[in-house]
Amino acid sequence: MTDLYLQDWRGWTPHRDAGNEARLDTRDKPAGAAIPSLLRRRLNLIGRAVCDMLLDLDPAADHVVLHASRHGDGDRTLEMLYALNAGDPLSPARFGLSVHNAIVGVYSIASGNRRSQQAVAASGGEWAALVAEARGYLADGESRVLMVFGDQPVPERFAEYAPATPSAAVVLQLGSERKPGARRLEESPADVDTPAPQPLDVIDWLMAGDQALACPMARRRWQLVGEP
Amino acid sequence: MTTAALENELKQTIIETLELEDVTPEDIDPDEPLFVEGLGLDSIDALELGLALQKRYGITLESDAESSRQHFANLKSLAALVESRREK
Repeated sequence: MTDLYLQDWRGWTPHRDAGNEARLDTRDKPAGAAIPSLLRRRLNLIGRAVCDMLLDLDPAADHVVLHASRHGDGDRTLEMLYALNAGDPLSPARFGLSVHNAIVGVYSIASGNRRSQQAVAASGGEWAALVAEARGYLADGESRVLMVFGDQPVPERFAEYAPATPSAAVVLQLGSERKPGARRLEESPADVDTPAPQPLDVIDWLMAGDQALACPMARRRWQLVGEP
Repeated sequence: MTTAALENELKQTIIETLELEDVTPEDIDPDEPLFVEGLGLDSIDALELGLALQKRYGITLESDAESSRQHFANLKSLAALVESRREK
């Protein structure tokens, strides 16, 4: 099986301290500075953070991008449902941005990245799905891929149907070759009953560096091995 | 309503409807193109603006691309469209 190495990462969340970690942005409102203002206006906070992180890790914008979100943009979808219910016409911009690949779509327009992109929702198995997809691309000959995992709270109206979801997004650069500073991502079976990992859990795991991240749905766990 | 007042109202409508966060009414030149060049709006903005004209002024645009292109060329042509076709 193709080995996976974590080469670099970036994270955004206002819900924890960064300590001395320069790769984590904890501002309430990410800048979205990498995106021209006419495109940036269409992005929510997660989208602004993700675009900045992608272009920080891959300025040439030539890597495959895998994007996962459990809930996507529930706010825009709900606003459209309210409009339909009131008999109002749908907003084309809102419709265009409610789709699950909206953020990476705006990113690809702004950056000119025309490589493959995937948008995944896996009902709590997002992390495992991302790693499986990444392994596939790397086994197929890509030298590195970018893995995005981002979520925000679901609209209040749906809150009782979903676990509390703090706003957070993380982008990991994975490669199949061990490079200086890279750590191997070791995967093993695990029969656990922990909550489904969310983006903030992935950030906590990256910051700790020596713990396991488990996905109960996939019955797998992941640990970074080798010197940080 | 004078043409100048209508142009100002349309500038506000464009900024609010299209969420142009860094644009002020003074930035919109009535003679400059709204789309691609000039203000730099795109095709989704055109659809969104068409919807705003329908809601606010009761104007339904025909699906003829060439006439839409003329109506949406710049703020002046948009104001002329609203003046001649508004129902509210």
